[in-house]
Amino acid sequence: MAEMSKETENLFNAMFALEDVREVLRQSAPKHELDEKQKEQVRKALEKIKKALNVLEKWSQ
Amino acid sequence: MEPIVEGLQVRDREEDYINIQPIQAAGRLTLEARKAMISYGDGYSTCDYCLKPFRLDKICKPPIQEFVQDLAKFVNMDEARVVRGARGAFQIVINSLLEKNDIALVSSIAHYSLCLAFESRGAIWREVPVNEKNILTADAVAKKIESVKKETGKLPKLVAIHHVDYQFGNLHPVEEIGKVCKEYGIPFLVNGAYTVGTMSVDGKKLNADFIVGSGHKSMSAPAPTGVLATTSEYAGKVFRTTQSTGDVSGRKFGIKETELLGCTVMGAPLIALMASFPKVKERVKHWDDEVKKITYFADEFLKIKGNKILSEMPRKHTLTKVDTTETFGKISETHKRRGYFLTDELTKHGIIGPFPGATQTWKLNTYGLNWNQIKYLAESFQKIAKENGLNVI
Repeated sequence: MAEMSKETENLFNAMFALEDVREVLRQSAPKHELDEKQKEQVRKALEKIKKALNVLEKWSQ
Repeated sequence: MEPIVEGLQVRDREEDYINIQPIQAAGRLTLEARKAMISYGDGYSTCDYCLKPFRLDKICKPPIQEFVQDLAKFVNMDEARVVRGARGAFQIVINSLLEKNDIALVSSIAHYSLCLAFESRGAIWREVPVNEKNILTADAVAKKIESVKKETGKLPKLVAIHHVDYQFGNLHPVEEIGKVCKEYGIPFLVNGAYTVGTMSVDGKKLNADFIVGSGHKSMSAPAPTGVLATTSEYAGKVFRTTQSTGDVSGRKFGIKETELLGCTVMGAPLIALMASFPKVKERVKHWDDEVKKITYFADEFLKIKGNKILSEMPRKHTLTKVDTTETFGKISETHKRRGYFLTDELTKHGIIGPFPGATQTWKLNTYGLNWNQIKYLAESFQKIAKENGLNVI
């Protein structure tokens, strides 16, 4: 099979990183007050999402 | 938030609440399962590379064949299949072993789906009574076997018993029960719906001929998923392959397994079950931690004077039946929201799961909560109790 397209790869990267954020929501429910480790997890995930969204945005232009 | 489609709201129960719903706790998906669902959500997503002999458990990409072999090892049995829920496993075993009017034994607190599986086969299910502690004993099983033998001149064709029951979350001595069944030569099915995937289950040690698990109950998988594992002695019977031929077309169906109706669980539910499996294999080694958490919660819950725990104590499983008739039940008699006051209050604290309106006897399950959540859960019950004039030690 051909290699995954850049846009598809970045779509999945973004969706998976959002699931990482979702995991932190679940672990910190119901108050969603984050400890340092969780904050770092969310930050890392958001970085991945931003990176992926940049690629998708360029693709859409 | 906009619904997904009309009538289908976004479900945020696991993100915004602590969910102690008895049947949902250990079925919560892992992170990996949710990612797998994103990628494999389409219908026959597992079947891209379904090649000869065209059977689900023979697919190598994704590694379903390897997974099914791992499942058997996981419960220390000889062969396993992924099936449509524990109830699907019941039907497969019952259809393979029993004929109309055959008698089988279940516990007096057996799950309804097991009883219906017998009924649908035309078989007769008879109950072995639990004792005053709501535990089934090997002696009681032996006694019932003898009673059936005396009445009918025949032994029961199957004994099917829960490892942990759904009513009290009590742990039953299935190893001893299995020994009794071996002595009588009666096949023994262990319903591990609440144990396969949460605690270690060794089918051979339990003297089981069949181990049944529930993916959506205890293996962090979507519904409907389940596991049926058996020994080499019975594999040929329950997983027997089709022998029929079309009278017009002359068609045969290869090595499709008759009782499984060929392929069982394809696509997203199977992939998610597989994706959760590494974490499930790891988490059963830490079952003691879960028992510590429910023990902590139970101790704190009982500090509300008048609360009772109906499940066996000390707790051996996270599924727990409680009695709050004298506490929250009493308050509900005069509260303007009546019985709904408790679930309303819990919801305000970000806790869901108890049946709406329940204030007398009800169940909860703390599986999978972290220590912060367990402590918060306990504190919230105590806070609600104090705010409503109850005594908290």
